Amino acid sequence: MRTVGLVVLLAVALAGRILAQGDVAARLGGRLPPAVVTAVRQLADSAAARGLPVDPLVDKAIEGGAKGVPGERVVAAVRVVLNRLGQAATALRAAGLPTSDPDVIEAAAFAISAGLDARAAAELARRSRAPYSPAATLRVAGTLAALGVPATETVQVVQQAIAGGQSPGALLNLPQEVEASVARGASPAAAAAGLGQGQGRGQGQGLGQGQGLPSSSPHGPPPGKGQSHKP
Amino acid sequence: MTEQYHPLIKQLLDGELALAELPPGLRAEGERALQLLAAVDRTPVVLPAAVDQRVMAQVRRRSSSPVGRAWRWLVRARDLDIRVRVRPWVVGLAAAAVLALAVVWPGSEVATSHAPVYVRFIFYAPSAHSVTIAGSFNQWDPGAAPLVPTATPGIWTTTLALPLGQHQYAFLVDGERWVVDPTAPSVDDGFGQHNSVVAVTSQDGGGRAL
Repeated sequence: MRTVGLVVLLAVALAGRILAQGDVAARLGGRLPPAVVTAVRQLADSAAARGLPVDPLVDKAIEGGAKGVPGERVVAAVRVVLNRLGQAATALRAAGLPTSDPDVIEAAAFAISAGLDARAAAELARRSRAPYSPAATLRVAGTLAALGVPATETVQVVQQAIAGGQSPGALLNLPQEVEASVARGASPAAAAAGLGQGQGRGQGQGLGQGQGLPSSSPHGPPPGKGQSHKP
Repeated sequence: MTEQYHPLIKQLLDGELALAELPPGLRAEGERALQLLAAVDRTPVVLPAAVDQRVMAQVRRRSSSPVGRAWRWLVRARDLDIRVRVRPWVVGLAAAAVLALAVVWPGSEVATSHAPVYVRFIFYAPSAHSVTIAGSFNQWDPGAAPLVPTATPGIWTTTLALPLGQHQYAFLVDGERWVVDPTAPSVDDGFGQHNSVVAVTSQDGGGRAL
């Protein structure tokens, strides 16, 4: 009876994989040439076999199709995404972190793509113990790097925020504060340095949202992009 | 015999107006109407014996028809005793099946309690004839989200409902030129250009999530 159960479980897993393959093909169908769909599906299979998230690969392929990128470049870009996800998972594993959460792997890959070193990203994730979320911390770091804050300063600012006991909300607010400061003419590095000074003054005091950078207007939307809730 | 009331009297009877709100000329009539209504309300309704007999005869006739009996048999509530013997591997199998379906079934993302957040995008393109926005939130569909020109020349805008999370996007100008949002962070798109990044966060429930 145990053997029967095992066989049925394997059958279910196989069916799941076939469904996943069908899902990749269905999402890409009509957007990309069949040869590209096949190549992306193979890469997606490879990702799934390694326990890596598949969606970022499909999303990148869809993006390439929408932008009219030649097929071989689409496949190359998808392969880069796959390698980055693998790099992120390896670094997380090396830091002693579980890699079962695809969101954390994706966030680490994003931070790496924004310019962070894989080991530094994994270290940030390792320090993000409750109440901090590793994925959110990595996305904050990635966004800061994407804003132009040098990688070293990015890691430093985020680590200081965590060590200083800032609330998770305040941590999430850091990119917005840098954006606001950059919009007023500061360089990204200077804006990050301003955050660091704010954090230094607030260390141990549990800064609230937006208090890291005193001269910013933390609750206002960044210029050019407003964020509002449903009325 | 039906008495035709003034519309205001009808409103009074419907409870939409108070007696004091009626024009003085209608108050007496309104008072009479209220008294009549109160009297009618208190009058017991007595049906003639013939009506009672006709109704009961109809009920008996219907209850004796085979179709009616079959229908009642079908819809009658019953008590059932069900005994289930479950083997552990069956439970494991069921759990695995549910898990596998939850993981791979298209569109089976776990719904969150967070409502979408409305994000306003503004773009300056003085010589553009059309501007759209495409990104990971709309499957990079260039036609899904057009921006509209504002009263200020050259300024285009749109407001989109985005799910929580991090999204990459770019503006498509005149249907042929992909342009990043100059005010947003950007990352290499892997195709030789850049994508802008927007982090949609929630401020309800005391927390925000990237």
